[in-house]
Amino acid sequence: MAGKSGRSINNVPESPIKRMIFSWEGVLVILFILINVFCAFYSEFYNLKNLLRQMPVYLAEVFLMLPMAYILVLGEIDISVGSIVCLSATMSCIVCNTGAPFIVVVLTALLVGTACGAVNGFILTRFQELPPMIVTLATQIIFRGIAEIVLGSGGSISASNTDGFRAIGGKIGSVPYILFLVLILGVIAAVILGKSTFGRRVYAIGTNRTTAYYSGIHVQKIRMIIYTVMGTFAGLCALFLVSSSYGANTTTGNGFEMDAIAMAVFGGISSTGGKGNLAGGIISAFIIVCLRVGLGQKNVHAQVILLILGLLLICAVALPNIIGSIKKAAAKK
Amino acid sequence: MNKKLVSTLLCGAMVLASATPAFAGVADGQKIALVGKSAGNAFFEIAASSFKETVEAEGGTVEVVYPEAATADAQIKVLDNLISQDFDAICISANDVNALQAKLEEAMDAGIKVSSFDSAPNKDSRQVFVNQAGTVAVAQALMDAVLDIAGGEGQWAILSATSQAANQNAWIDAMKKIMEEDEKYSKLELVEVAYGDDEPQKSTDQTAALLEKYPDLKVICAPTTVGIAAAAKYLQDNESACKLTGLGLPSEMLEYTGADDEHSCPYFYLWDMQGLGKLSAYATSALISDEITGALDETFTAGDLGEYTITEADDGGTEIVLGLPLQFNSDNIEEMAKLY
Amino acid sequence: MEKKSFVKKITGSREALLAIILIILFAAITVVSPSFLTPKSLMDMLKNNAVTMVMALGMLCVMLIGGIDISIMSTLALSGMSIGMLLKYEHISNTFLAFVIAMAIGTACGFLVGMVISRADVPPIIATMGFMYVFRAMGYLVSNGGEWAGAAALGSFKNFATTKVLGINAVIWVIIVCYVIFFFFMKWTRTGRKIYAVGSNPSAAEVSGINVKNIKLMVYMIMGFLAGLGGALQVSIYASAMPDMQQGGEMDVIAACVIGGVSMSGGRGTVIGALLGSLVLATIAKALPLVGFDALWQNTIKGIMILVVVVVNVILQRVADRNALKGREM
Repeated sequence: MAGKSGRSINNVPESPIKRMIFSWEGVLVILFILINVFCAFYSEFYNLKNLLRQMPVYLAEVFLMLPMAYILVLGEIDISVGSIVCLSATMSCIVCNTGAPFIVVVLTALLVGTACGAVNGFILTRFQELPPMIVTLATQIIFRGIAEIVLGSGGSISASNTDGFRAIGGKIGSVPYILFLVLILGVIAAVILGKSTFGRRVYAIGTNRTTAYYSGIHVQKIRMIIYTVMGTFAGLCALFLVSSSYGANTTTGNGFEMDAIAMAVFGGISSTGGKGNLAGGIISAFIIVCLRVGLGQKNVHAQVILLILGLLLICAVALPNIIGSIKKAAAKK
Repeated sequence: MNKKLVSTLLCGAMVLASATPAFAGVADGQKIALVGKSAGNAFFEIAASSFKETVEAEGGTVEVVYPEAATADAQIKVLDNLISQDFDAICISANDVNALQAKLEEAMDAGIKVSSFDSAPNKDSRQVFVNQAGTVAVAQALMDAVLDIAGGEGQWAILSATSQAANQNAWIDAMKKIMEEDEKYSKLELVEVAYGDDEPQKSTDQTAALLEKYPDLKVICAPTTVGIAAAAKYLQDNESACKLTGLGLPSEMLEYTGADDEHSCPYFYLWDMQGLGKLSAYATSALISDEITGALDETFTAGDLGEYTITEADDGGTEIVLGLPLQFNSDNIEEMAKLY
Repeated sequence: MEKKSFVKKITGSREALLAIILIILFAAITVVSPSFLTPKSLMDMLKNNAVTMVMALGMLCVMLIGGIDISIMSTLALSGMSIGMLLKYEHISNTFLAFVIAMAIGTACGFLVGMVISRADVPPIIATMGFMYVFRAMGYLVSNGGEWAGAAALGSFKNFATTKVLGINAVIWVIIVCYVIFFFFMKWTRTGRKIYAVGSNPSAAEVSGINVKNIKLMVYMIMGFLAGLGGALQVSIYASAMPDMQQGGEMDVIAACVIGGVSMSGGRGTVIGALLGSLVLATIAKALPLVGFDALWQNTIKGIMILVVVVVNVILQRVADRNALKGREM
């Protein structure tokens, strides 16, 4: 039950190889290759060197996708993450400018993020009747509002000592640290969600909350943990974002929640809860990054890129369903 | 799902991507990228199209690129893309003063010339800034307009964009300074600086609140295109005695501009947007041809606009000032509205 | 006896609780700034929030069947921008025709969204997130990449928002008419009741002969229609069409409904609730600059107020439920 692919193209899972290819993740891998081939022919600047150089800014958002996947599997949503990124980026720059050692800056970013996530978690578990969307909408406004107050008029701060941020933005050869970190954390998050008891419980809650509660799962405790960790990851995203701009402003992280949700959903994680796994989410994140870089290098209008991503998102979810229902109709005859 | 297989394929695809040969771009003429604040801004479009015309007339090419949102994050992604392509120069209107420094320095290190116009990144992130009109000149024009419309004395208020908008804040600060320093403004009282976030709805709420809070308010000064149009509409619909001035687009303000009581805005200002595009184009192209380096006191010829000298900007960097702000009133607005 | 049941009735209904919150809000603001409670100020408030108020009705229907639509402000921008450009280049000049075109475009957008959700079983948040990008991009394309249609370009169309009928602004009449129609539609028509049926229990509704797919499709078309109307109203009220109109405004509409007691899992919610919810938001927006908070603090205070309103509503509801239980025990 748990941990299985969010969508299936076909219901012919006889041999393992076949199952792999026809699973959504298989389709995504094929799509990933196709997109790379397309981009390589489309843009004369699309090569590994440029891809690795351009990737870090996009990869920061993948940090948000990992815990967002958990929240989506719960059947919930958190739209405050972009604002948490803004607030922790702001606070870490402020702490950095006091001359504190870089480890303190890192801790500030993570702690501020965690605290914001805990606030979300606290309100949501204390008042379970409230829909997560409205609570996180309110905290979205509040967290960014606090950043606005802290930043004052001008609304922008730059880190005076950029050595630490330069260091985490560094590379091994030409591969940026952030790529390793995304892959490591991605695998850990995927294993926890797919293989551990904790993960199974998350699926159980997403499938049927009442049943999960009566079968002895601490529903509220798990929700609290996930929302708090979401905040921590937002702090991590903020750190790497600052490492590309050496500063923060009131628009930092604006709209990141939608990007994170889109990556997860495109990867097969159902927004109605209980379905999907993170392998799909991670591959789809890379598909989106590569597509954006490729189209961006040919200076395709930003709105047209969004249009393509929007259509891709709809088709990714709609097509398997349409094929499925056609097959079903054919089988009936 | 077998993760090993996934990662193998992932690596495979990346290798494939890297193996594809990169075609060299044809470097005939100058290749310039013009980066806007966000798509869908009529104000920017005018300058962009005149920028493009100017460069193309000289045999170069221009790519006008927009970030997907009006944020510094989105502009960083755009800059990353531009650095990958072999542009000779990037001309940018920055969404944030400091946030682009790392990327713009990276671009300059890669041999790309960086100029900016409309809204400047900080002095380390650019070689030269083309300023539409000196900050003090704009502030002085607006202050004199407020003094004139208020009849020498009374309450007035400012309706700005966001509290973080760098341009607007610079003008407002300069206005406050002018008001303090000169005796003739002493009877004017600045009651509030309100922010409409460049949204018509919020600007309308703010305008209404200003009128309700200060019934004797004589003038509102809105140094932002969306704000001034929303405020003009509200004042005119309500036949308010309070008048309006500021910075706006003639085509948006046509209906509201006039010296009589029926119109809410006697006159307002803006700079020569086409001229701004043109001057930026010449300045950027002069950077590429090493005619200028962006250092103080260098001079160059900007086509039929004449000769310009690089001067010191308020932030310590260098800038080229286009000229004085233009006044739009009932006499010239019909004609100017056709242009922009 | 009679009094007790009256009190019970008041505390037992979500709408009544919300009405009390709204009255407290009104009173508090009036104390600080007396000019708030004047007819002109209130009319201004309604006119300036007309778009959100009208669209809250569509969101009510969507949320009643357990759906959500975050593409609405993109639909609004596409339809509003389309008529803006048509008027600017003098393809049309008739105000009525412009409204019809906007509403037709909106309905067509809603039809697309509804088809994808009802026929291809795409979760509403995903489908509408996709269409949010698609329609917004189309709005940009319609505007030739960023032209605006200003007051002068809109001709007599913008006069709609300044005409008064019987002393009340035409825009406010639109709000009133919409709310009256929806009040009757949701309460006393078969189709209206079917929406509630589908929302409370889709499988039961299916079994009892309701075509659930068609109801879903219809609901998103209603939403699209109102988004188109919202587009026309937006352009008329502010005498300006821009491709980035109301970006992010969908959250205000959703918040209005949730504050008004509409359940996000479907089946529960009323027209009165949507009205009160959007009035709460409108009041907050109107009051913030009036009360004189520092500009930097206004967003934070807005967020805190939304949070407080929904939390207080939950607490009051809990108290009311406990009281109701007590009554049963006795």
